[in-house]
Amino acid sequence: MLKKIIFCFLVCFFTYNTHSQDIIPNINLKTINGQTISADEAVNKDGFTIVSFWATWCIPCINELDAINEVISSWNEKENIKVLAVSTDDSRSKKRVRPLVNGKNWIFDVLSDTNQEFKRAMGVVGIPHTVVTYKSEIIHRRIGYTPGEEEDLFEVISNYKK
Amino acid sequence: MLKSVTITLTALFFLSLSYSQSNRIYGSFESNAVYYQENEEEDYENKLGSNNYLNIKYLFNSNWNVEIQVESYLPRRLQSYSDSFEDTHLSTLSINYSKKNFKMSVGSIYDQFGSGLVLRTWEDRQLGINNSIWGFRTSFDTDNVSLKLLGGWQKKGIGISSGKIAGFDSSITLINSDTKYQNLILGLSYVGRFEMPHYISYDFNDLTNLFSTRLDYFSDDFYFEYEQVIKSKDGITQFGSISNEFVKKGSAHSLNLGVTKPGFGLDMTFRRLENMPLFSDRFEQGEIYNESNVNYLPALTKQHDYQLANINVYESQPNVSFPDPELMKSGEIGYQFDLYYDLKEGSSLGGQYGSKLSLNISSWYNLKGQYTYYPSDYDTDFLGFGEKYFSEQSIEIRKKWSNKFDNIFLFINKYYNRRFVEEKSGEINSQILVIDNTLKLNNKKSIRLEIQHLSTKDDKKNWYGYGLEYNFNYNLSAYYNTIVNYENLEDNKPTYYSLGASYNKNASRFSVSYGKQRGGLLCYGGICRYIPEFKGISFSINTSF
Repeated sequence: MLKKIIFCFLVCFFTYNTHSQDIIPNINLKTINGQTISADEAVNKDGFTIVSFWATWCIPCINELDAINEVISSWNEKENIKVLAVSTDDSRSKKRVRPLVNGKNWIFDVLSDTNQEFKRAMGVVGIPHTVVTYKSEIIHRRIGYTPGEEEDLFEVISNYKK
Repeated sequence: MLKSVTITLTALFFLSLSYSQSNRIYGSFESNAVYYQENEEEDYENKLGSNNYLNIKYLFNSNWNVEIQVESYLPRRLQSYSDSFEDTHLSTLSINYSKKNFKMSVGSIYDQFGSGLVLRTWEDRQLGINNSIWGFRTSFDTDNVSLKLLGGWQKKGIGISSGKIAGFDSSITLINSDTKYQNLILGLSYVGRFEMPHYISYDFNDLTNLFSTRLDYFSDDFYFEYEQVIKSKDGITQFGSISNEFVKKGSAHSLNLGVTKPGFGLDMTFRRLENMPLFSDRFEQGEIYNESNVNYLPALTKQHDYQLANINVYESQPNVSFPDPELMKSGEIGYQFDLYYDLKEGSSLGGQYGSKLSLNISSWYNLKGQYTYYPSDYDTDFLGFGEKYFSEQSIEIRKKWSNKFDNIFLFINKYYNRRFVEEKSGEINSQILVIDNTLKLNNKKSIRLEIQHLSTKDDKKNWYGYGLEYNFNYNLSAYYNTIVNYENLEDNKPTYYSLGASYNKNASRFSVSYGKQRGGLLCYGGICRYIPEFKGISFSINTSF
């Protein structure tokens, strides 16, 4: 039975004119001040949004967000970019999110996805995972972070044909 | 029943596909495979194991969507995962509806009430956990009130639990002031676990009730979150059997306070757990695969990313356990502090490019009280600190020296009471030092060198380790790392290593490595599982589409 289900699924998958994920789903997230906000409402409706999935224990994630924090003001002089740092910390390490964000002086919005429902809905397997949207539509995704990669991210945004 | 419902839902899913004009499918695929060479478990020697996950979401329109996940363990599961994971099976199937403030789901439910002390269902593939509830959920949100109701059976291996779970969660915003930012939220939850006995009847109720009350306050520079849980009487599970005489209530108290300002964050957590485990099948308590777990009681200690910092990791102690008259536990009590501070650019300590400082202090203890081994009983003090389980103090400094070079300095002082935590013998005091250096080269290249040392006079004595990573560009990386227990002459200086490479392109990642992995407790998010030592080649692919 299971083989038939899988076969049926694969046929459907390849036969139909499917779209890859191009929209942000309607999933509730929390701001670091405890307010509820839907993910699709949080993105920048007029320009670009960098949605970065991170956690307090993930060193490359913090490296990426530290790097973006240093350059985001100069980027915003050229393009309209909003950064949403989505913390996937569960209740074990969630307590560390707000003091870390303040302690690091991050100037962008931080949202909390405590039970990782948004991460699941976005098909994110590992972090860091970064998604770029333009006017609510997903235009780019990437996994991992190596030093300097934020420059490449800005290049993707600058070269995007609006 | 599960099978017939699954088949019906799947048939409906595919039927609906054929009627859809603007179908939108997306999802992810993950595959982790290991070809085992040398192994502690002979069954796995010179054999291939792999865990594969295909997750698909199908959007009918803005209101309806379906999620389906198929898992395949071929030719066999990776070692140390649940025995029931064989061949290919459907692990998640849910139909979801949402319109404005109303949401409804049927099928596999992933959810959390409050901080998870009464209920958390989630998936963690590295730990082999998927404890979703096979049932229904409905929720309704307004600006100030959120209500949620759910119920069903829990996923257990590839089947479902015999016990049933029902839950209700609410949160009410009492104060929400935008002018002077303030937010006060009251939360009330209930979770009931109903499980009939298999062979005998219990002298206590088949239904166990948990009630949670939460009060959260947030303002611009201060916050607190308090949660209290009361658990009704239940038989204590020990050594695979449930006692009809040793029947106790449970409780949890969690308080979290914080003060934040630009460039500064301080957080303090206190938590007390007494007899708090909850499994949809009572007999699952103490089993190694973490199945049928209803609530989430993680260790509240700092998670570290470095290998030597992950030796002797603390696992929370929410259970009652009386293995011998000298070792009797009924839960844990303790605290944790975190401090983050931004040493500004140009200041005397921050230097030209600034530095980031973080401190963590945590201590966890058994509950102090009167314990009797036979007949088994206890009576605890509310604020009594018993035998110390674990303590840790760590300091981390991130320092940028130039536009090209930065490093992380980490020092940890750790105490681990193996006798009380693992119920084996020994206490271990250790100090760990890590220096992690990154140098950016030209043309997207960079190099990272990490050096680690663990000093201890106890257990297996000292370790050293290092790792070298070279990033050819933003897509391709290669690394080598090793840790050596160089003072452990008894076991011939055990050495573990890994040589690997990874390639990332957009939302896909492929990696391959060869090496020898240390056995022991593998811990993520405060939950641990035991993995045996092995040598072999690992492959991993993951992609989102």
